[in-house]
Amino acid sequence: MNPFRTNPMRRVLLGTVATVSGVTALLALKPHTQTAVALPQTAASPTTPSAGASSPASASPSASSSTKSTKGTKGTKGTTTTKTVTGDTIQTRYGPVQVQITLKAGKLSAVNVLQVPQDNPRDAEIAQYSVPVLTQEALAAQSASINSVSGATYTSQGYISSLQSALDKSGN
Amino acid sequence: MIQNSRAGRRLAMRRIRPRRSPAVPLVVLAWLGAAVVMWMWWNNTPNVVGTANQLIAAGRITGLLGAYTIALVIAQMARVPALESRVGSDRVARWHAMSGRYAISLVVAHVVLTIWGYSEVSKTGVVSEAVTVVTDYPDMLMALAGTLMLLIVGFVSAGALRRRMRYETWYYLHLLTYAAVFLTFWHQLTTGAEFIASATARTAWYALYLTVAGLVVWYRVLTPVRLNLRHRMRVEATVVEAPGIVSVLISGRKLHRLGAEAGQFFRWRFLTPGLRWSANPYSLSAPPRPGLLRITVKAVGGHSSALGTLKPGTRVWAEGPYGALTAARRSRGKVLLLAGGAGITPMRALFETLPAAPGDLTLLYRAKSTEDLALWRELKAIAKERGARLMYAVNGPDGSRPEITPDGLKARLPDIDRHDVYLCGPPGLAAEWFHTLREAGVPERRIHHESFEL
Repeated sequence: MNPFRTNPMRRVLLGTVATVSGVTALLALKPHTQTAVALPQTAASPTTPSAGASSPASASPSASSSTKSTKGTKGTKGTTTTKTVTGDTIQTRYGPVQVQITLKAGKLSAVNVLQVPQDNPRDAEIAQYSVPVLTQEALAAQSASINSVSGATYTSQGYISSLQSALDKSGN
Repeated sequence: MIQNSRAGRRLAMRRIRPRRSPAVPLVVLAWLGAAVVMWMWWNNTPNVVGTANQLIAAGRITGLLGAYTIALVIAQMARVPALESRVGSDRVARWHAMSGRYAISLVVAHVVLTIWGYSEVSKTGVVSEAVTVVTDYPDMLMALAGTLMLLIVGFVSAGALRRRMRYETWYYLHLLTYAAVFLTFWHQLTTGAEFIASATARTAWYALYLTVAGLVVWYRVLTPVRLNLRHRMRVEATVVEAPGIVSVLISGRKLHRLGAEAGQFFRWRFLTPGLRWSANPYSLSAPPRPGLLRITVKAVGGHSSALGTLKPGTRVWAEGPYGALTAARRSRGKVLLLAGGAGITPMRALFETLPAAPGDLTLLYRAKSTEDLALWRELKAIAKERGARLMYAVNGPDGSRPEITPDGLKARLPDIDRHDVYLCGPPGLAAEWFHTLREAGVPERRIHHESFEL
């Protein structure tokens, strides 16, 4: 309060130290590993038996169970069909994302991205590095229960939601 | 004669009612706001993975905090009465200077961290990334222009440069801040992840900035316009009080309705060539009377020196009243007023109006010589009427300075530690007195002072 006592240098130093440590603490408290993101869009998609996997928080166990059930269907029918299903267009902050999946004998064999934000160089950059990672993960998991790519949270969310809707439509 | 006014006597009859300064609750509120802003970031950020994202996240945090601080910085200068008259214009001005510097540091950190982080993600050079960010993201050209303006304002406010600049130049450059804030506002909403994600956050941000804009328009534009339309002030006369000290008498309508208290000041603009473009703060040197105000000014700068040449009838534009060095500050019956040179101005008004029993009020007036004791005759008349003590200290004939020591003060006022002390004088002297008073046993919270040193 008292203007005769202020020491500007001390105040500057204090402010700097407090701010830097505050920001560092905030960053340190946040998880440093990738976590699956919540997907508000999936809640709206039609509930199918395999929709247990639609909640991205429920990770591998339910995902693998849905994969097993797919294999079971394939086994009884004994047919090897190739099916292409287009997912919903998901609006993200930076633009729409839409994927198309290819199912061979009920198994997810390819994910094709129809739309992804790439109007500006940065969006394109993000799409360029995130889409291959997402596709790889999706094929490995055989579901939409995959982690989002860091630095591409919104593209990932859109991708995962669209993928989920495609899987739902395919009736797996 | 302006002393012995009925208004002054009425004021002197009031009960002593100390008012608490709202400074502490306001500071707490400001910190709570900062916590809410941080919570917005926290809520919207699922994780922070890798160095690049840590940089970007730090950039977001500093950006959010910077934008929040800038809103406070503007609000602090909106001349809100609660801030000006209860916290004190001087203290708020120091808050403003401090948070202004902090805001600019945060903005610089925000720019550096964000561009650095983005360039790490995209594996491009910092410069090309900066160009990309400015040209490809919405509203970023505006934000760039605004940030440059902010930097200019920050640069000219830095101590060394400020002192070398004319006050008016500095002041008008400072007005760029409004444009800068307007220009940088939009990119926050269109690129800020926190705002794109949540309509609530957007609404809160609009509310914050619109409130601040409303305060500025109301208290810096509409209130002064209304005041001057209502009171229509003009210069009545100028009086030389002492070598280099001049009083300006200002007439107007219903001036007792201004709500000005002894110890407060207005920002004065005299509508005459050369003075029109600057508004300077001068304290009232007498309690306001229905048709008359008086300021007493020492010629130190271009503005104050020109006041002696003001012609009667010159129109006056005033903004105020501001300042918290009023009767509301004191907590006890006994009061010591310490005035140095032209610092007598607010002390003179307080001397007449501070409620005090005979013998409870003392004024010590320090000047170079007895000739420099401006307003001395008035002070003597007031002292006589109120039964107050009046003392002066001047340099000896050989130019030696009178020593005002803790022991000297205690010898004159044995119960000085039970006094409220108001002091006003040139910065060096005021600081010296402050330490003397502390040594004499006056608690810090009872030393009331306004200093416009930032």
